[in-house]
Amino acid sequence: MNKLLLSALLGLALSSNVMAGELVKMKGKTEGRVNHEFIYQDGCQTCHQGSGKKNTTDAACVECHGDINSIPVDESKLAIPEAHPHKSLHYNQGASCLACHAEHEKKAPVCTECHRTWFEEM
Amino acid sequence: MQGRRNFLKLSAGAAIGSLAATLPGTVQAKSCGEINWDESADVIVVGSGFAGLSAAVNAKRQGLGSVLVLEKMQVIGGNSAINGGWLAIPKNPIQLAQGVNDDSPEELVKDQIISGRGMQNEPALRQIANRSLDAYDLCIDTGVKFRDGFNIQVGGHNKARAIRTQHGTGGDITTKLYEAGVKEGVDHRLQHYIEDFIMDGQQIIGVKVRKNYRFPDLKTGTTIFIKANKAVVLANGGFARNMALREAVDPSLDPTLDCTNAMGATGEVTLTAMAYGALPVHMNLIQTGHWGSPDEGGFGWSNALLSIGWHQGVAISVLNGKRFMDERADRKTCSEAIMKNRNADGSPAYPVVFFNYNNYAKDDRVVRALRDEMAWKVDSLDEIAAKFDIPAAELKRSIKEYNKHVGERKDPLFNRKMDTAEELTGPFVVSRIWPKVHYCMGGLKTDLGARVIDGRSMAPIKNLYAIGEVTGGIHGEARLSSTSCLECLVMGIIVSETIKADLEGAV
Ligand SMILES: Cc1cc2nc3c(=O)[nH]c(=O)nc-3n(C[C@H](O)[C@H](O)[C@H](O)COP(=O)(O)OP(=O)(O)OC[C@H]3O[C@@H](n4cnc5c(N)ncnc54)[C@H](O)[C@@H]3O)c2cc1C
Repeated sequence: MNKLLLSALLGLALSSNVMAGELVKMKGKTEGRVNHEFIYQDGCQTCHQGSGKKNTTDAACVECHGDINSIPVDESKLAIPEAHPHKSLHYNQGASCLACHAEHEKKAPVCTECHRTWFEEM
Repeated sequence: MQGRRNFLKLSAGAAIGSLAATLPGTVQAKSCGEINWDESADVIVVGSGFAGLSAAVNAKRQGLGSVLVLEKMQVIGGNSAINGGWLAIPKNPIQLAQGVNDDSPEELVKDQIISGRGMQNEPALRQIANRSLDAYDLCIDTGVKFRDGFNIQVGGHNKARAIRTQHGTGGDITTKLYEAGVKEGVDHRLQHYIEDFIMDGQQIIGVKVRKNYRFPDLKTGTTIFIKANKAVVLANGGFARNMALREAVDPSLDPTLDCTNAMGATGEVTLTAMAYGALPVHMNLIQTGHWGSPDEGGFGWSNALLSIGWHQGVAISVLNGKRFMDERADRKTCSEAIMKNRNADGSPAYPVVFFNYNNYAKDDRVVRALRDEMAWKVDSLDEIAAKFDIPAAELKRSIKEYNKHVGERKDPLFNRKMDTAEELTGPFVVSRIWPKVHYCMGGLKTDLGARVIDGRSMAPIKNLYAIGEVTGGIHGEARLSSTSCLECLVMGIIVSETIKADLEGAV
């Protein structure tokens, strides 16, 4: 994947108010993120290797976005500095992207199981 | 392939718990032909909390070969990752530096016998206490940071011996054990749900796993079979989140009680082990806290906030604006009184607890609670009545009467000790309360070496081990605070030694 294109897309996603990209209708009834539109145009293989019925794994996220450490988080929006979701005191590196992010629906991050007021559904 | 299909049928029957399929001597695996294993590991660890991560690192260090940690959730650490980070270690360096020189493992065991009320397993507690410095060393050498100079006496302990992690969470320990494991070659997998055991008579030889599983949907992922060459270590934690099981073993734990535990504490692996003959003990001994708030998840801030509320404030029923209990009574008494507050349809009518804001405005407990909106600053009794739908006149009458009792230092209604009570004038800090289920004392019976005991033969099930909250009978009636973390870390060390000894014995 083209690094330049990637940073342009990431820039876009971050400057809008929804971090992971707005959720919109993509294909038929399926919803997806605006910044992932090109994946839908390519068929869904980028995430669902082989078949749309197969669950995706972190590998697909990491391939484009890099690992958890290289993904910026807007720290000005955190309830408290310790609420940094990519530097969690509870999980740190031991969290799957899928614990907090979903492609086809809005999802509350795993942290909200306890810290209910710190994060919004994204 | 044919053989595997047949086998699958049989295995499903066994999972439902049909005893006939698991009688000693039934050689399930062999009677169905060869199993097509998808992969294998020398040691398979089920669960990635303190117990599982400690076992994994120590299995590596004992030279037991390849170690695979299977975790069903999308995050590492279970209850351990969200825990409060309290760890009881007699003779820890901070304690000694404080000049507390009269503590010992035996002193800790003494305290645990009192809270266990005769139901505890003394030799197991003694073994754990005796190895507590090993657990401390494990933390230090994997990079865990504890608070400088911090070592205090917590509830039920007769000595200051509880240290606390830097950020006040067990995550400070699990993340370090995990990183150490990665460095030392442990293979950790998320979203791997243990569905069933593969038994060869009275021996476990592998596990059936749902890979890429998405909690809690059992239709997600694909089934694979992983062979365990040397051992399977169950470290799957407690079952406090399994509402049906909870209620089955203790009918007083009705489903309106929330839970402090991580979502994955549902106990299916414990039940699977029982279906293969593992002996359950003390399943009905489940710890609840009467200090929960319905306005936050997990353990939260409520317990800390209520250490002001119970002493300096009141608990009021929203149904009639009246006090309804001695706010300083024990857990059980308070829980029972709180749970009587119900709407006509049986749903909880969460009581409110409040105290004066001004004296505690800067107190950390208040600042955090207000920030996270699990408590509110409310200026007057009228506003409290409006916000929480309490009959205003009755509320005002109750507080007037309470203030009079505070002045007299006497509580004719509930005989509460009034030495710390404050006259309530407002503005107030108000929170809502409802008990939460916290810890399962019961679980699988194990011997001192962490071998899982079969209830029919009272002998170990070969190659099957269990450590941590999944085990039962160790703490007895009630677990003492800060001792689970200790138990899990120590038993992770001990189980690796047992596996090694068992392998040597088998040669
Ligand atoms: C909020 C809270 C605060 C606490 N504070 C303290 C404290 O300060 N000090 C103290 O000593 N104790 C404390 N405790 C108790 C202590 O944290 C727990 O008893 C301890 O963490 C249990 O550790 P464990 O390794 O046995 O299980 P866990 O840490 O719960 O780990 C078990 C893991 O197994 C996984 N699992 C379950 N079933 C399956 C399956 N089918 N397939 C694959 N994986 C599975 C779970 O998802 C989980 O990740 C606290 C508990 C809670 C809930």
